[in-house]
Amino acid sequence: MPASTVKLNPSDRFQKLLKDPVLLFCVILLWCFLFLFILLPLAQLFIKTFEEGGHFSFKNVISTLGDPNQRQALWNSLILGSLVGLCGTVLGFLFAFTAVRANLSKAWALFLDAAIILPLISPPFTTAIAMIFSFGPRGLITYDLLGIKGFTIYGLHSTLFSETITFFPIAYLTLKAIIAGIDPNVEDMAFSLGSSRWRVFRTVTLPLTVPGLANSFLLLFAASLADFATPLILAGNSFPVLPTQAYLQITGLFDLKGGAVLSFVLLAPAFLVFVLQRYWVSRKYYVTITGKAGAKTQIKSVPFWARYLLLGLCLFISAFILYFYVLLFYASIVRAFGANFQLTWIHYRVIFTEGLKAIRDTLVIAGVGMPIGGIYAVTLGYLVSKKTFPSRQAMEIVSMINYSLPGTIVGIAYLLFFNDPPIMLTGTAIIIIACYVFRYGPTGIRTTVAILQQIDPSIEEASFSLGAGSGTTFRRITMPLILPAFFAGLGVVFIRSMTAISATIFLISINWTLITVRILEKMTELELGVAAAFSILVVVIVFIVITAISLFLRLFRQPGAPEMANILGG
Amino acid sequence: MKAVSIRLENVSKTFIHRIKGKVSAVDQVSLQVEPGEFLTLLGPSGCGKTTTLRMIAGFERPDRGRVFIGDEDVTDLMANQRNIGFVFQNYALFPHLSVFENVAYGLRVKGMQRAEIEKAVNDVLALVGLKGYEHQFPHQLSGGEQQRVALARAVVIQPRVLLFDEPLSNLDAKLRVYMRSEIRRLQKTLSITTVYVTHDQEEAMAVSDHIAVMNVGKITQIGTAEELYTEPETTFVAQFIGKINILPAEVREVTDLQVTVSIFNRDFRISKSAVPLALGQNIKIFIRPESIELTKGIKEGQLKGLIVEKTFLGEKADYQVEVDGHSLNATSYDPFLHETFALNQEVGIILNEQAIQILKE
Repeated sequence: MPASTVKLNPSDRFQKLLKDPVLLFCVILLWCFLFLFILLPLAQLFIKTFEEGGHFSFKNVISTLGDPNQRQALWNSLILGSLVGLCGTVLGFLFAFTAVRANLSKAWALFLDAAIILPLISPPFTTAIAMIFSFGPRGLITYDLLGIKGFTIYGLHSTLFSETITFFPIAYLTLKAIIAGIDPNVEDMAFSLGSSRWRVFRTVTLPLTVPGLANSFLLLFAASLADFATPLILAGNSFPVLPTQAYLQITGLFDLKGGAVLSFVLLAPAFLVFVLQRYWVSRKYYVTITGKAGAKTQIKSVPFWARYLLLGLCLFISAFILYFYVLLFYASIVRAFGANFQLTWIHYRVIFTEGLKAIRDTLVIAGVGMPIGGIYAVTLGYLVSKKTFPSRQAMEIVSMINYSLPGTIVGIAYLLFFNDPPIMLTGTAIIIIACYVFRYGPTGIRTTVAILQQIDPSIEEASFSLGAGSGTTFRRITMPLILPAFFAGLGVVFIRSMTAISATIFLISINWTLITVRILEKMTELELGVAAAFSILVVVIVFIVITAISLFLRLFRQPGAPEMANILGG
Repeated sequence: MKAVSIRLENVSKTFIHRIKGKVSAVDQVSLQVEPGEFLTLLGPSGCGKTTTLRMIAGFERPDRGRVFIGDEDVTDLMANQRNIGFVFQNYALFPHLSVFENVAYGLRVKGMQRAEIEKAVNDVLALVGLKGYEHQFPHQLSGGEQQRVALARAVVIQPRVLLFDEPLSNLDAKLRVYMRSEIRRLQKTLSITTVYVTHDQEEAMAVSDHIAVMNVGKITQIGTAEELYTEPETTFVAQFIGKINILPAEVREVTDLQVTVSIFNRDFRISKSAVPLALGQNIKIFIRPESIELTKGIKEGQLKGLIVEKTFLGEKADYQVEVDGHSLNATSYDPFLHETFALNQEVGIILNEQAIQILKE
């Protein structure tokens, strides 16, 4: 009888926990952290939102929603999120279907993957800056190429375009895994029953991907809802959205309460997406893998002409993405893009002198957060999937909260909670590191859980039967097998420490600042060349770290170990 | 190393199943495996054979009863303190270790010297025919090769007992036949007391000294393959090992040695069994398909039937024959030599008297 069907009753579990001091210590310690860095800040946000003169009240929420401007911001956020979800999913599906089902050669597949990964590892303003260089009033395409004068770049259209380009790789990674999971034999079966290719696509392939499409829509909706950087640059005054409104409320008007209420309003749709994803979409997945894998078959989903059409479309979009990055690089090495195209290193000199503190701070924060995030992820992931103790499930869910919430909410919650005694962390590096660890550690947790689920319990039993104790078994068998998850945890925390802004913009101080925040400042000061140089630097650093981690992953490659790209998408 | 015995005394184990609630997997099982013996636990899935094996290994602790290896009571010992060799159904090779390191794992845990480990691993790899595979990784091996690594890994630590949990079920039919004789050869060479779990009766008969047939958590009968086949004590054993035809019969006459029974209104004199019989009693008898002979010519008064199904299998042919509303399975070996029959053909039927046995329940 498989061990998974065996259940201990709660008192047994509690007894067991008391007998295992190491486990007990880990569980208590983790809960302390989860309370301190997830639950209590969030509770503080609730209190701030619903407290009026010492009483519980809906007054704050009602007055915020009564303000037509804020109502408009909520409405705009929802519209933008839906449209990004829709467009990004379509684009992601196009790429995923082409990559998996169009019989691409290895080189083409690699090229598509490479072009798609760029937006994932870039700092948040990259596309926005490139958009301004291309479509702004003196933009390369609008002004120089098409000769349009006075083109308005600010508004829904450009925010949507920029967010779609930034976030569709998430849809691509989600859908690619799903389409690749559909056994081509199932399609063969439909062919053998007399279906045409188009009919097979319409009646077999597409329906099987529907849960994936829904999931991708929700992921993109959430990403857009949480995105703070793109609307800040591109949305302009005519198209306010919630995260930027909350930011302006706090930094512009010093109205902490107003910011808290706005971010709480943002919480509702974010929470809805979280619930839908966890309890609805995840149950709709079809399992097409049954028993032994069928014979490998030549994929014949698309006719000859369609293959080139699909590839052509993908190449056009990939080329567009690459164009953005080339443009960004070019802008970083000319004196003033749009006016003076003289080559110069001056912007790089600026970032390595005046901007050096931000670079150093960011690297220190990322470097310290990285191992902590990795250890946190592997420990928590191991405990929730291999050990039985009271509150196990609650621990897993709580650990995912900061990851699922928009960064603006997390940032404001931290700001509210750590600003006053008992625990004052505002102005320290700890608050930024903690924010990254608990916000991006969950990727590592999920990877750990996924890997551990794939390790058959009999592997550990085999080690016991050969005379090894549980310590040796963990050290020699389990630990090496979850090493990839550890690296994944490290990688994601590092990359996000380099590129994230939405939560930490509320947490920076004179003592500790971040590159991404400096990019924003340079953009508002219209020093676009410096902003571009900073962005290029971040892309290069992240690229080097990703390559290093991928090499490590390949070195310790286990069955079921994830690719770096997949980790980023999750 | 001297071979040791294994003894189970009234061992029971219940699980709490998410849907079914409390399930008694093993119910008061007692069992003795002699030193050097190869015993197979045979039974349908869910009969408790794997749980029994896992209790011998120490992966499960019995709720009641004791487990002995040699003269030592090991009930309270963990798996890693029992000195056993276990071969898993899915092999459970360590995916991140090479063949050499997989096999060396148990020796390293023991803290053996490097040179000794090298010699022991090389010896055992030669024994299972995997010389030259030392640096391969599990995912680079075929199913049969992985199986041998699992085998080598289990025996290299010189375990007191060898335990197999359906080790051949992931292999294809030809390889299965080959590997089972390999396992038997290895067990004889090393003369290690062995318990083997399978649901395949042919496999059990091919490898074992003794077979313990299990059903719903209990051992139904223990014996050699021949004993189980020729003298099954229960209908379950009779049906599980080989094929049988069960027919109604009436007791006509009982003497000291023999019983006369009437089947299809014809008298047959068969050997007497331990079951007390009364004249005129309605009983059930069974006869195996190979003990039923079909003939083309039908003598006066001979039992006859109609062929309704025919399966040609090369070395034999299986027939289904309708007789008086009953369906009989008959097997004819060497179809080249013997008569073959067509569908819907009327045939004569000879029941071999010596092969008819009375069902005890």
